[in-house]
Amino acid sequence: MNSPQIGSQFLTLFAAGMLVFQLLLVVQRMLLTNIRLFALQSLLLAAIAGIVAWFNKAPHVYLVAGLTLVGKVWLLPWILQRQVRRIGITQEIEPLLNPPTSMLICGALTLLGYVVARPFTSLERFGNNTLAVAITLLLTGFFLMFNRRKAVTQVLALLTVENGIMLAAVALTTYGMPLVVELGIFFDVMVAVMVLGILLYRIRESFESMDTSKLSQLKG
Amino acid sequence: MVLALIVLVPLLAGLMCLATRSRTAWEWLNLLAFAIVGALAIVLAANLLSHGTITGLGGFLRADALSTLVVLLIAFVALGCAIYAVGYFRREERDGRAIATQLRRYYVLTPLFVSMMLLVPLADSLGVMWVAAEATTITAVLLVTFYNQKTSFEAGWKYIIIGSVGISLALFGTVMTYYAAAKVVGHTEHGMNWSVLAGVANQFDKNAMRLAFICVLLGYGTKAGLVPMHTWKPDAYEEAPIPTAALFGAGVINCAIYGIARFDVLAEKCLGREFPGKLLIGFGLASILLSAPFILAQRNFRRILAYSSIDHAGIMVAALGFGGKLGALGATLHMLFHAVTKPLMFFCAGNVQQQFDTAYLRKIRGVVHVLPWTGGLFLMATLAVTGTPPFSIFQSEFKILSAALVAGRPWVAFAFLAGVVTIFAGFLMHMARLNLGNPQVRPGPVVASECPWKFCAMITVAAAVVMLGFWIPAPLYRLVEEATHIIGGF
Repeated sequence: MNSPQIGSQFLTLFAAGMLVFQLLLVVQRMLLTNIRLFALQSLLLAAIAGIVAWFNKAPHVYLVAGLTLVGKVWLLPWILQRQVRRIGITQEIEPLLNPPTSMLICGALTLLGYVVARPFTSLERFGNNTLAVAITLLLTGFFLMFNRRKAVTQVLALLTVENGIMLAAVALTTYGMPLVVELGIFFDVMVAVMVLGILLYRIRESFESMDTSKLSQLKG
Repeated sequence: MVLALIVLVPLLAGLMCLATRSRTAWEWLNLLAFAIVGALAIVLAANLLSHGTITGLGGFLRADALSTLVVLLIAFVALGCAIYAVGYFRREERDGRAIATQLRRYYVLTPLFVSMMLLVPLADSLGVMWVAAEATTITAVLLVTFYNQKTSFEAGWKYIIIGSVGISLALFGTVMTYYAAAKVVGHTEHGMNWSVLAGVANQFDKNAMRLAFICVLLGYGTKAGLVPMHTWKPDAYEEAPIPTAALFGAGVINCAIYGIARFDVLAEKCLGREFPGKLLIGFGLASILLSAPFILAQRNFRRILAYSSIDHAGIMVAALGFGGKLGALGATLHMLFHAVTKPLMFFCAGNVQQQFDTAYLRKIRGVVHVLPWTGGLFLMATLAVTGTPPFSIFQSEFKILSAALVAGRPWVAFAFLAGVVTIFAGFLMHMARLNLGNPQVRPGPVVASECPWKFCAMITVAAAVVMLGFWIPAPLYRLVEEATHIIGGF
């Protein structure tokens, strides 16, 4: 159970799992399911942080795992779910591109992610697909943001981008970032989601819609 | 100690504003906080010039000449805005455009916003710098939506979504930089500190640094408003209340350019001049050239200010790209001159908008006939911002142009010049008509006395603008020179 090889395999597996959840997120239109998918993806991230902490004997990475668990698996999904229930919208309206096309594009983005990560990938390194997955999460997260029109989904997309970056930070540097930076980032993300929540509510109130394509009065 | 206080004083003032309920208390708390920050910034500059680099909180905070210059400028802009805000918001309240809860939001969030802005240059760790930059985005959103109109929410939503996308790219770039350095620096609590990284940047992993620099440039470039990540800017500048817009236009922009400059130093040491230079010049030139037609065809003067800000971000980034002694000096001077000049532009625009209750150019003519001081200063600010001699921006733009020629890029220099001249023409056309043209409708009576708060802010900034055109105080110039050494990496 202590062999780094097993750790590396789990890391690879969980990172791949994060990617799978991301792709499901891209084609899923039920908002509540989307939020749960995000929570599951974050759970895998927490697990990855735990594995890294265990095999690299880096106690402060456990804290990252803990914060991810509390913040992204429990707190943020809870806030977002409450938001969705309060607004009373369950389904995303038709995205700009239909699911097959989106899937195809995400496939291309995944390929791109692996190409960009190519120079940094070596079989000896611990969890060698993580950077590629991280970059893919980043790219598909951006795609998701442009493809969807519901404000909640855009927030989720932003959070998956965050997940990708944290994955890179934890797995790539095999030690995580300095503690103060990790804490700062965690705090920022929490506050950002709360502020986005406030804004969302206000937009809903004054536009009677959460469709961000209606935000199009300002031009030039 | 000074370093920690600079960040903490406004933070505290913001929290105290949250606890109080009277408008006068909010106003004075803000004024007091920013006056203290201003004084502390001057103390910091004096200490720095006599003792060299200062660290605080066990290396968490660090101020060299470049950070000190940026802190000084933010403090100047924040104090100016605080004075202006008193008059501005009293008028907004009187005219029924804002109510007490909105004012409270402004006076609570602005000190927090400024505090985070000040942390950007003072943080030694690139990670903490990122955290602070993200925090400026978050604290400012509810300021952008101040007026609670549909358009404000639209601007706010665009601002936070585009800003967050950008800033997450910057985080990825920061992580990649950390990774590029990991083999050299090892994993310590100081492994992200710029002062540590700058010493060993030549041994970084080159591939990782290349990817890192692209991401960081896109990320902080979004905050600075470089084309094509600029789209949030016109909306936010149009919708935010004037003092907030001025803080964006003269404060946040410097924080963003500061971030880019820090990473540029690392990238240059690791990869040489060519790679970061080309990227910086590309984005810079695109920003200058794109903002020119938008300024020419613009119908709203708030948006003109936004495009002007995009243009100036482009100029600074291009100057960093040209590099060398002249490029670095040009960029630093431009940072200084732009931050001093821009607030005046915003203040005058705010006065005009409040007087005429619109920001559409075609509805306003002959401002000087109604508001003689504002009209006159508005014209002066226009000339100063577009780089007309004898005003100071002319000097920095001239240096940057020379830097382009020295760097052997005559075509880039030509395009730069063409963009800057077009913008000058467009600006002057709009502003001359706005200020001097014949009033279409019968103008209101000449406003005998302009609001003393707003007037005081305008005159102070105007005096600084005029002074810098002819004379830079010796200590300030030394600060600029030392900052130039840091940016130039020599």
